[in-house]
Amino acid sequence: MKNTLFWRLCAFIAFGTVLLFWALSWLTNHTETSMSFIDADHQQQLLDYGKQAERILRYEGEASLASWLQDLQQKEDTWAAVVRSNITPFADSSLPNQYIERFQLGRSVEWKIHLYFEENPTMEIPFSDASSHLLIRLPQRMRPGAFLIYAKVFLQIALPLILLSILSFVLYQDVMTPLRRLENATNAFSEGKLDVRVSPYLSVRNDELTRLAATFDHMAERISKLIYNQRQLLADLSHELRTPLTRIDMAVDFVEQNINPKQALERLRSEASTMRNLVEDTLTLAWLNNESPRLNNDDFDLVELLDVICEDARFEYPDRRLTSVLPENVLITHSSQIALGQAIENIIRNALRHTPTESEVNVSFANCNNQYTLIVRDQGTGVPDEMLSDIFKPFFRVDKARSSDSRLAPTQNNHGFGLGLALAHRQIAAVGGTIKALNYYSEKGHRAGLQIIISIPH
Amino acid sequence: MPIPHILIIEDDATLSDQVARLLEEKGFNTQQCLDGQKGLLSALQNSFDLILLDVLLPSLNGFSILNQIRRVKQTPIMMITACGAEQERIEGYRKGADDYLPKPFNFTEMMLRIEALLRRSQHPVERVTQSSQLQIGQLHLNRSKQQVFFADKSVELTPIQFRLLWVLLANQHEVMSKAFLYHSVLDRPFSRYDRSLDMHVSRVRKKLVEAGMSPERLLTMHGKGYQFT
Repeated sequence: MKNTLFWRLCAFIAFGTVLLFWALSWLTNHTETSMSFIDADHQQQLLDYGKQAERILRYEGEASLASWLQDLQQKEDTWAAVVRSNITPFADSSLPNQYIERFQLGRSVEWKIHLYFEENPTMEIPFSDASSHLLIRLPQRMRPGAFLIYAKVFLQIALPLILLSILSFVLYQDVMTPLRRLENATNAFSEGKLDVRVSPYLSVRNDELTRLAATFDHMAERISKLIYNQRQLLADLSHELRTPLTRIDMAVDFVEQNINPKQALERLRSEASTMRNLVEDTLTLAWLNNESPRLNNDDFDLVELLDVICEDARFEYPDRRLTSVLPENVLITHSSQIALGQAIENIIRNALRHTPTESEVNVSFANCNNQYTLIVRDQGTGVPDEMLSDIFKPFFRVDKARSSDSRLAPTQNNHGFGLGLALAHRQIAAVGGTIKALNYYSEKGHRAGLQIIISIPH
Repeated sequence: MPIPHILIIEDDATLSDQVARLLEEKGFNTQQCLDGQKGLLSALQNSFDLILLDVLLPSLNGFSILNQIRRVKQTPIMMITACGAEQERIEGYRKGADDYLPKPFNFTEMMLRIEALLRRSQHPVERVTQSSQLQIGQLHLNRSKQQVFFADKSVELTPIQFRLLWVLLANQHEVMSKAFLYHSVLDRPFSRYDRSLDMHVSRVRKKLVEAGMSPERLLTMHGKGYQFT
């Protein structure tokens, strides 16, 4: 689900808070109610006063009762009285019995006291004849709810404060734990630990923060790969530059000692040109690697481009046959003529270089499955199957990969793959196409050569 | 033709000396500036036919020099960049450089481009005053109507193809460098792997051959350029 974290926070904060305040309000009401009743002992005391008054009235007479009342008033610091009630309807009216039964002059001792009234209520304790009553204002010492103010402070301020603090802490932990992991990972990454990843630590979650972690991991993956490739490229490049540099030094010695200076100068020029191309290709490769650009500004005829490239290649390799089977024209849109041209040129040149003299390189074209397919077949020695994808790595050499003491028997034309195929791979990717290499076999099952298959979207 | 005067703004003294020496050998007048600020001053104070401008310079960056010169002068400027990164090349054009030369380069390459730039800036009038018709053998070009006939048969060409054929014909028997053709026909600098000129030539040749012309008349001089004979 999208925005899991949002919904979780929503549940915690919105529903949690509403629930909390509802519970608090209920609890407060409940506490207030339960604190409004007169203590059981005091209830009994009041009832006892009633019984005592009734007994004194019955056995000792009104005068005794009067003095008892006087004492009671003094003792409880309140007023008390005994009354006789006799409700008499007149003007030909009548009262329902129900009402007369329930009629009271004061509050019964079991009733709750309205604590919001400052003044104490008048309590009524009926005598057994039901028409005489002891009325007494509730003595202050019996008033309930002395602790209500503390209960209210606790329930309305302290408790929500504590609960909301806990909620905040839980939410904070929930969000900060992954963020802290991410922070640690970022620190480690910036200190050069390129293999650090966050996602494995967050496998129990699945929300926005795991997405952030995944994004971080993706970034870390890409950057570490870039850095690794860059280091590798730099190492390979300096290695590759050694040979022409040595040859240049030698050629300078030749000129200085006047040994065939003309040839040495030619050698100087050609080695310089090798180095120039190498540096330029490396820069282009680094650019394509670093920026992964999408090149799509050109519309052109692929066949025309191929014709031009083939013509140049034939001129460069007059001793090999370069044949092509191509349609009249193939319009390519939103592509790059320079990138595609350079890629195809490198592939064809590479094929010609690995093909023995008098042998053939064939370029063929097919249009199927919504893409154009271009196949360049050479008649060289092919490449071991397990290395077919490695030849698109910069400076890859089949012989170097096979044995560490390489170039035991270097052939005249084996310059390795240099940067040509690596560049081609990225250039074709930059125009939205793909490239792969496959061996093809003769009828007898021998490896007959290498074919490079380029697919270009319509 | 007066001797072209070239200003070299390049902080690498060795390279600057080498270039100046080779250019003088070819008959150019040169002036060197090793510093951006001074380079800008002399570019503004004197009149040059061409300025070679390095991008990475002490005191003032090549692009800001380019900007400031362009405010007052239209002297052809060739930027020399060491980065080779596409981004920097593109920035160079936007700000009005006429060409860029990525380091490393060799002198032949540089010469071709310098000649192309000078040729373009020194002959703009000539192109306008040229006659509007060209007739070479059975080939007939009419510029005002943009029409091409071979042996009275009409050949359909796009405006770029027409301009290309026109330039080649007007300079018959002369090898036209790719750098020059890019500048004069396609209006953009030449870069090593750009194939659009080759494709245009190939298309023009194909059309003319279909009309009956011998393919040998429009020659590809590998590594040099094209020639109409």
